[in-house]
Formats: sequence, structure tokens, C-alpha cells
Amino acid sequence: MSEVTRSMEATSAVSAGYADRRRRAAPNGWWGMALLIATEATLFGCLIATYFYLAFQNRQWPPRGVPDPKVALPLILTAVLVASTVPMLRAVRSARLADVARARLWVLLALLLQGAYFGVQVHEYLGDLDKFSPSATSYGSIYFTLLGIHHAHVAVGLLLDLYLLAKLLGGLTNYRLVALRVVAFYWCFVAVAGVCVVLTQIYPSL
Amino acid sequence: MASVAQPAATVERLEQIWAERPGVLGWLTTTDHKRIGLLYLFTSLVFFAAGGVEALLIRTQLLQPDNNVLSPAAFNQVMTMHGVTMIFLFVIPISTGAFGNYLIPLMIGARDMAFPRLNALSFWLFAGSGIFMYTGLALGNGPNAGWFDYVPLASRQFSPGQGIDFYALGLIFNSVSTTAAAINFIVTIFKLRAPGMSINRMPLFAFAFLAVSFALVFALPALTTDLVFLELDRRLGFHFFDPSHGGDVLLWQHLFWLFGHPEVYIIILPAFGIATSIIPTFTRRRMVAFPMVALAEILVVFIGFGVWVHHMFASGLSNAVLIWFAAASLMVVIPSAIQIFAWLTTMVSGRPRFHTPLLWIVGFIVFFILGGLSGIMFAAVPFDQQLTDTYFVVAHFHFIIFGAAVFPLLGGLYYWFPKVTGRMYHEGYGKLSFWLAFVGTAVTFFPMHIVGLFGMPRRVYTYPSGLGWQGYNLVESIGAYILAAGLLLVVANLAVSLFRGAPASANPFGGATLEWSTSSPPPEFNYAVIPRVTSAYPMWDEEDRREDARALARGERVLERGHETPASTVLDADWDEVLDMPSNSPWPVTLALATSAGFAFLIGGHLTAVAVCVAVVVAALVAWHWKEPQEA
Repeated sequence: MSEVTRSMEATSAVSAGYADRRRRAAPNGWWGMALLIATEATLFGCLIATYFYLAFQNRQWPPRGVPDPKVALPLILTAVLVASTVPMLRAVRSARLADVARARLWVLLALLLQGAYFGVQVHEYLGDLDKFSPSATSYGSIYFTLLGIHHAHVAVGLLLDLYLLAKLLGGLTNYRLVALRVVAFYWCFVAVAGVCVVLTQIYPSL
Repeated sequence: MASVAQPAATVERLEQIWAERPGVLGWLTTTDHKRIGLLYLFTSLVFFAAGGVEALLIRTQLLQPDNNVLSPAAFNQVMTMHGVTMIFLFVIPISTGAFGNYLIPLMIGARDMAFPRLNALSFWLFAGSGIFMYTGLALGNGPNAGWFDYVPLASRQFSPGQGIDFYALGLIFNSVSTTAAAINFIVTIFKLRAPGMSINRMPLFAFAFLAVSFALVFALPALTTDLVFLELDRRLGFHFFDPSHGGDVLLWQHLFWLFGHPEVYIIILPAFGIATSIIPTFTRRRMVAFPMVALAEILVVFIGFGVWVHHMFASGLSNAVLIWFAAASLMVVIPSAIQIFAWLTTMVSGRPRFHTPLLWIVGFIVFFILGGLSGIMFAAVPFDQQLTDTYFVVAHFHFIIFGAAVFPLLGGLYYWFPKVTGRMYHEGYGKLSFWLAFVGTAVTFFPMHIVGLFGMPRRVYTYPSGLGWQGYNLVESIGAYILAAGLLLVVANLAVSLFRGAPASANPFGGATLEWSTSSPPPEFNYAVIPRVTSAYPMWDEEDRREDARALARGERVLERGHETPASTVLDADWDEVLDMPSNSPWPVTLALATSAGFAFLIGGHLTAVAVCVAVVVAALVAWHWKEPQEA
């Protein structure tokens, strides 16, 4: 009995790290995020499947009057998104070693990368809207829906980063350490989804 | 922890810690899985009544040829809402929401769900989505394109009213609620099992709910995607489903049935879980082929994701596709038959006592076999193409989703009534209610096979005389009234027993699973001492339960510092840590209210108001997470 950890009572950086090392199974929050990712990944699967379903139904893809998608810029942007998972994972490592200050810095660095990615993507999205409309053809419909839903996931992640940073200013607890792990996990998923989305997006130009 | 605590003092302390806030505010902010389960139960029963009234209206309209109880427009709305209500607002919420919520933590020896506030959010979102869709009906703008809502009928061109928008938006946030509940169940079952309840000692009920929850996690996104496409097409002029602009009509059907067929198993699996709880209790023996049944429950879900095209055999797909899906559909017979034989063998080799709950399970097996046999017929492509969209299909799926899926829910209501209320139901009226419902179901739905073979199409609001359908339809309608009488008797029996029933002991039927070890009704904290489990039938391991009582006397495994519950490892259920669970919170209900309001404004097109609602949602989420459990 006495050997079982009361992990919620871990309210300092050191005891949170201790509770984390003592735990044999992944915490509930991690499982919750894993399942959220499972269902969101299915959502992206359905969207990408729809893209190719419609692509194969149409002789001309993209249709006449719609420019072929850019290749270089989306790929570079996605590389930035993938790279931003590194500081997130470093933040988790620092937090586990009870180094809260460094964890905060890593999250901030990730936030800057992800924010820059988001800003350029939104700019590109609005630029595409000037060139062709989602309500003109099915290509536009699925193109803007797929990218829009992906960008929405990035926006949610940015809000999670801000929330984490605000909480980490008050030090580390077991609850916050789990939150940090879970948000890092979420960003890894967004990065993988981003790769799948960008490959779909540039498919007509390949 | 106090080393020598008196059991009475310990229990008193737990009662103080876990006390629920009194009054309406207590119900609005509760995170207790039992209270949320009861909220789910009452709400889904209200929707069941609404869906039942709609069914009786349909049967009254079809009582005789050229009838005009309902106008064609009203008939379409009533028929659509009957389907939507029974599936999304009754069977899923009552099975996962009510039975799952109330029983899963009790059965696995936990004190709450893994995410108690998320659980409350699931309920309030579900209630909001139901009210939302019924608002549409009340405004005369009910959904009216069938529960499967095929385009192009559901497109703006052919359904210009707001009915379809109520359907699509309502189901989108209904899906959010159901997904959250499913995730909650999986984590609860994985992580909160009592020490010693390794995965092979988990009740089959929990296996069924695990399978259902996984099915929901992977099936609902297809529906959500489809509904988002539909709303974008209708509201913003996108062209997902419009062939004149490169869209495709069948895309709707593919995505819909990619969700819709797993949905059928989502509906039926909780029934399997309830059957495997009731049968061992009333036959006084362990389930035959326990591991096979557990695997079959999971296999049904797995195969269920590969059969959706059998709803589309008449849509002109290539033969190669049809043959593939016909074969996959036949495969589902295997895990289903494993379970049927396991139930029957358990009953035959045990000593069955045919009390009310077991009678409902027998009825379930009868209808499951009958509906299953007509289901196998549909796997034959030419047969399906001949009978698709006739009453034969209606007969088939009502035997399955009413006879097979709902009968165990009603049996389960009787079975766990003493546990939940602390009183016994009336056995005689219980049996009578079963026989009325059994005869009613058979009389209502069996003749539909015949009129279906005679060519009567589904979904027609009336039919001319002289086609030989008249007599059968009359019989079906009479059957529906008998069935309604049986269901009313169930409600009356339970309602009267709630006040007049004989007091029930902790384990009146000699049930085998853990929920029977605690008092009837269970205390807020479920168990004063966290049980330790050594088999899948913990209540039949008497020495283990005596050891629990001794542990309580010694003050061991009590967890009395806060809202504490143990968390264990996923496969072996070794005790891993102690969690402090959040208690009542005002944020889930606030969040659900803001979400419902946001969707309502979306229907009206008030985008500023929608933005305000989104801001409230974000603020409520921050407030929800800001205070950590240890600060509460």
C-alpha cells in the first residue's frame, strides 16, 4: 500500500518528476490524447480519401482555370512544422529533469516556429482564395476544406502552447507535466497529419 | 493513513468527502458517474417515448390504404425523426450513457470514470443536441430526408428548408458528445480496473463496451466529415455532392455507411454485453467459451468496418466491389454465431431460472437469430437488389435493432433496477410486460417480411388498396399497439416499484460481477475498500470478498484523503498510482450550453453571436483546467 504513488500530491518540479518515473503505465491524460488522435486521424483519413475519390472521378484535376498547386513553399513550411516537434519533445525532457525554466524556453521556441508556420499558411490560404473559389468546383471545395481543417488543428495547438506557458510560469506539478507530455504528443500528430496533407495538396503538381 | 481505523468511522469520512451538492445545482454540476448515468437514462427514455409516439403515428397512418392521419410532409418528418431519435437519442445514449456510465466503474471496482467532467460534458452535449433537433421539428422544420439523409434529396436544391440543417448540425455536436464518452470508457476500462482484474478477468460486459467505444472512435469521424461536407454544400455553395461541378452523389453514401454499418454493431454490442451479464446470473454457471466470446465481441466490430457497401448493392458499383463486400458481410456471421452458441450452451448446461431479466434475453436471442437469418440473405447480391428499399429490409433491421438490441436493454433495466433503487420490481407484471412486448414485436415486424416480398416499398406515406398489402398492414399496426402496451407496462412496473417495491439486498440475484458487492443503491464512493479481484466472477469468490471486509477493518485500500481512486497498469491491472479525481464543476454544463447556443445561432446565420459563443467555449475550457485537482 505505502509503495503506491499519490501522483496528484506531486506539486513541485522534483516530486512531479519522481511521480512520472514511478508510474509504470502511461497516465490517463496520455491515453485520452492517444484516442483523440486516433479519432482525428480518422477524420483526416476521410478527408484525404475524399480528395482522391474526387480526383479520380474528374478527368481534369485541378479543373480548367485553377492553377496547379505550388510545391516548394508548402514542403518547406511542413518541414518547419515537423522541426517544431523537436523543441516540444526537448521541453518534455527538461520538465522531467525538473528544469522548469528550460522547459518554458523550449515551449516558447516551439511556439515561435509553429506561429510562423501558421502565419505564412494563413497568408497562402487567403492568397489561394483570391485565385480560385471553394464554391466553383469540387476541387476547390475539398482543397480549402482539407487545408482549413488542418490549419484549425494548428490554431488549437497554438492555444494549447499559450495555456501551457501560462501554467508553467507558476512552476511544475504532476498535472502540468502530464499536460506538457500530452501537448507534445498532439504536436507530433499535427506534424504527421501535416505531412499527409501537404503530400495530398501538391499531388497534382508531382 | 490511519493504521487502525474503525470501518464505521472510515465510511463516514468517505461519505463526507464524496457528498454530492444537494438540489438542482447539484445535478447540474455533478460529475458522479451514477448521477450522470441516471440523467442519461431519464433523458434517453424521454426521447424513446418521443420516438415511440412517432412510430405509432407511422403505424396509424399505414393502418389502412389511402389514410390521411399525417400529411406526406409530416410523415417524412415523423419517419426521419423516428430513425434519428431511436438511434442517436435513445439506443446509443441509453446503452453507453446510462448502462455504461452507471455500471462500468462499479463492475471494474473504480470510484468514477477516468474523466469525470468530460463525462458530464458528454451528457449535456447529448441533451443539447436532442433538444436542438426537436426544436427543428417543433418549428415545422424537422429533418425529412430519412435518417440516412441521401443527397441529392438532402441538397439545398431539393430540400430548401432548414430541416436538413437541423439534422446535420445536431448530429455534428451529438458526435462530439458520443466521441468524448467513448474515449472516456476506453481510458476508464484500460486504467481504472481494480487491482488484480487483468484483462482476461474483465467482465464480458466491459469487453463489449470496450469494443463499442473503439467502434465509435473510428466510425464517427466519417459521419462528421460527411455532415460538414453537406453543410458546406448547402450553406456556402460548395460542390462535394454535385456532379455538375465535379462532385459525386455516391460520396455521401460511402462516408455515411462507412459510419453507418459499424453503427449497427455499436447499437447491438451493448446488448451482447448485457446478455453476457444476465445469463450467468440466472443459469448459475460461468459463461461457456469466455475468451471466444470476448474475442467475438471485438471481431464483430473489426469486420464491421469492412462491409459498408452492402448498403449500396443497388447503387451501380462494379461487380468486383460487390462480391468483395458480400463476402465480408458473410464473415460477420462467424463471430455472431460463436456468441449465440455460447449463450445457448451456457443456458442449456446451466440451471436456468426464467425470471424477467432472463426472459428478455431469451427474446433477444430469438429475434437476433431471426433478424440475423434475413441479414445473411442480404449478403446475396441479387436477393438484395430485388428486395432493397422494400419492407423486407424494415422487417430485418427492426428484428435486429429493436428485438435484438432493445430487448436486453429492457431486461437490463429490470436486472439492475434493485441495484440502482434498492427496491425489487414486480415479477408477475415483469413477465407479463415481456410477453406483451415479445408478441407485439413479432406481430408488428414479422408480416413486414411478407409485404416486402409482395413489393411494398419503404418510406411510403400511404398505399392504394387492392395490392394485397392491406391485411398485413392492419396486423402490423395492431402489433405496434400491443408492443406499446408492453413497453408502458415496463415503465409502470418500474415506476410503481420505485415507491412500493420490496427492499432489495446488495445481491438479490446472486450476480457474479463486482457491482453486486456494494450496497443497493451504491454509496457515492462505490466501494469503501478498493476490491481485489482474482477471477472474472469476483462475487463467486467468497474468500476474496471476506478479505476485502478484513482490509476495510484494517483501514487498508481505503483511499480517504480526497476523491481518490486507484489507477492500474493496462494489461495486468497492477496497482500503479492513486488518482485524485475532480468533484463537481460548473464548466461542463456551461460549455454545453454555449455550444448548443452557438449551433442555434449558426442555423439562424447570426455569425457575431456564434463568435461570442466560441469565445465563451474557450473561456470555459480555460476555467475548467485552470484549477488542478490537488487545489480543489
